[in-house]
Amino acid sequence: MGDPATGLILAVETSCDETAVAVVEQGRRIRASVVASQVTMHASTGGIVPEVAARAHLRWIVPVFEEARAAAGIDNWSTIEAVAVTNGPGLAGSLLVGINFAKTLAYVHRRPLVPVNHLEGHIYAAWLLDPDDPERPAPPFPLVALVVSGGHTFLVEMRDHLQYRFLGQTVDDAAGEAFDKVGRLLGLPYPGGPAIMKAAAGARRHDIEFPRAWMGESYDFSFSGLKTAARRAIEARRGGEALDPESVAELAYGFQESVVDVLATKTGLAAERSGARAIVLGGGVAANAVLRARVAERAAALGIPLIVPRPALCTDNAAMVGAAGFFRARAGTRASLDLDARPSLPLVP
Amino acid sequence: MTGPSPLPAAGRHAGPVAHPLVAIDTATRRACIAIGDGLGAPLAMRTWHAGYRHGEELLAALDDLLRDSGVGLGDLGGVVAGTGPGAFTGLRVGLATAKGLAYGLGIPIVGVPSTEGLAAASVEAGNHGDEPLDLAVLLPAGPHDRYLARYRRSDGRARTWEDALGHGPELVPGGEPIEPRVAGAVLVAIDLPSAPGISGEAVAAGARAQAGRGAALLDAGRAALDRGHADDVAVLVPAYVTLPRGITAPAGTIEWSRDPR
Ligand SMILES: [Zn+2]
Repeated sequence: MGDPATGLILAVETSCDETAVAVVEQGRRIRASVVASQVTMHASTGGIVPEVAARAHLRWIVPVFEEARAAAGIDNWSTIEAVAVTNGPGLAGSLLVGINFAKTLAYVHRRPLVPVNHLEGHIYAAWLLDPDDPERPAPPFPLVALVVSGGHTFLVEMRDHLQYRFLGQTVDDAAGEAFDKVGRLLGLPYPGGPAIMKAAAGARRHDIEFPRAWMGESYDFSFSGLKTAARRAIEARRGGEALDPESVAELAYGFQESVVDVLATKTGLAAERSGARAIVLGGGVAANAVLRARVAERAAALGIPLIVPRPALCTDNAAMVGAAGFFRARAGTRASLDLDARPSLPLVP
Repeated sequence: MTGPSPLPAAGRHAGPVAHPLVAIDTATRRACIAIGDGLGAPLAMRTWHAGYRHGEELLAALDDLLRDSGVGLGDLGGVVAGTGPGAFTGLRVGLATAKGLAYGLGIPIVGVPSTEGLAAASVEAGNHGDEPLDLAVLLPAGPHDRYLARYRRSDGRARTWEDALGHGPELVPGGEPIEPRVAGAVLVAIDLPSAPGISGEAVAAGARAQAGRGAALLDAGRAALDRGHADDVAVLVPAYVTLPRGITAPAGTIEWSRDPR
């Protein structure tokens, strides 16, 4: 039996704390995308507890899969071209659940199994179209992609499908992690990103300046110094008392400006120098409206489009894995029965 | 073997089935797969030292075993999954694979505590005759602690084991002596070296239990299916004895989002 070239990819993603399954057609059109998010479960602990995440994946993988299958109207495996699954990077215990479930389904139904790098998924989210979206051109190459989330912050150049030239990455905290930590210092709820953006929008004065870590000529990022500076500024402003809402807003504004300024400036510079025809933004922090606006300004100055998936496709989901998985499948990437979790899998080997 | 088959409806019902069963247990460092015929007798079995490589080795081992035994995927009538307690990594791989098999093939799944399979297997192989028997199964819980399960068989010929603790397996912290907790029982030590309170006999019983556990799980699974009992493939999870570190109560729910919009 040959592999049917239907272009339909069943994708599974369990690298962190969202259990996700999607069906994507031709690497672009979402037929169904279901995400069981563990956010509420973790809110009380102020972050992800890996053991909690892994247990929840095992509990929810079948209902999420069944929901996506039914929503996509798939009732025969002969219409499925391949099963794609995230094999890293991510939490080992979480990755294992999705990998072994997807691997077994691919084995049972004799479908090719395609491993997908989670980071590559975040980039390919830019290719996705919702069921009711009009057709639009795919992102043009070469492009520069900035992926920013609670787990990753990196800048990459793509000259063709699946061809990555790594430009830079964070040398310490991910940007989203810095948002979470400073959010906590400011007494804001988890996750810190949306809370800081909301607080910053209410600032009436904008004169608190935080340092920018430019990291010389490189495209690398660093947020740990900024985090320390934020802690000092918060302590100084507080002086033993609780912070008043206006101070929280001003500090949140200053911090967000510093993060966004560095991210947008470096992305714009990379796009200019590589002659990019588009900028792609992905990852959970791409949901930050200030970051989107600032990168959009850079793209407009270069006369190229900024492509940002809608927020639910910026955060972890399986549709992005289905998009990347399609191009991987067509390029002949296959995994065998011994596919295992690669918690530190790099984007570029 | 099987061609493209329809996706199953979730939650198939159990019932007497004459098809072969497959049992998977990955709660210990020695992984185990067994295939039994329609009546529950083992056709093929494999146990091997998987260490922490269950994820790499389990499905390939299953594929080999099916081929060796001449059983096709489409012939399988049920999956028996050892639910632990035991090593988290192994259990995650085992349960995700068992669920994939049951859901993918549309066949029933039965979860059986791994400790129950080990207890039963230690006796089958250990020849205790027909007397009533108390067993204590001890296995590692992380690097320092241990899980303890106790089973009782009042009628020597009975195949069913009663949970003698009344609440399933429990955790014995690393520093705590085990002697008072296992008094009066035959000790079966799994993946534990001989140590104070753990005799060479207990270690040998553990080795026998590991070797025979596939058959014991098939037996338990067959008995459950014959009674019309199967687990819901959607909700079956390992037997966790403790909450995750840092979590004091199983609070919070999982937020569902169905996307797109
Ligand atoms: Zn991510």
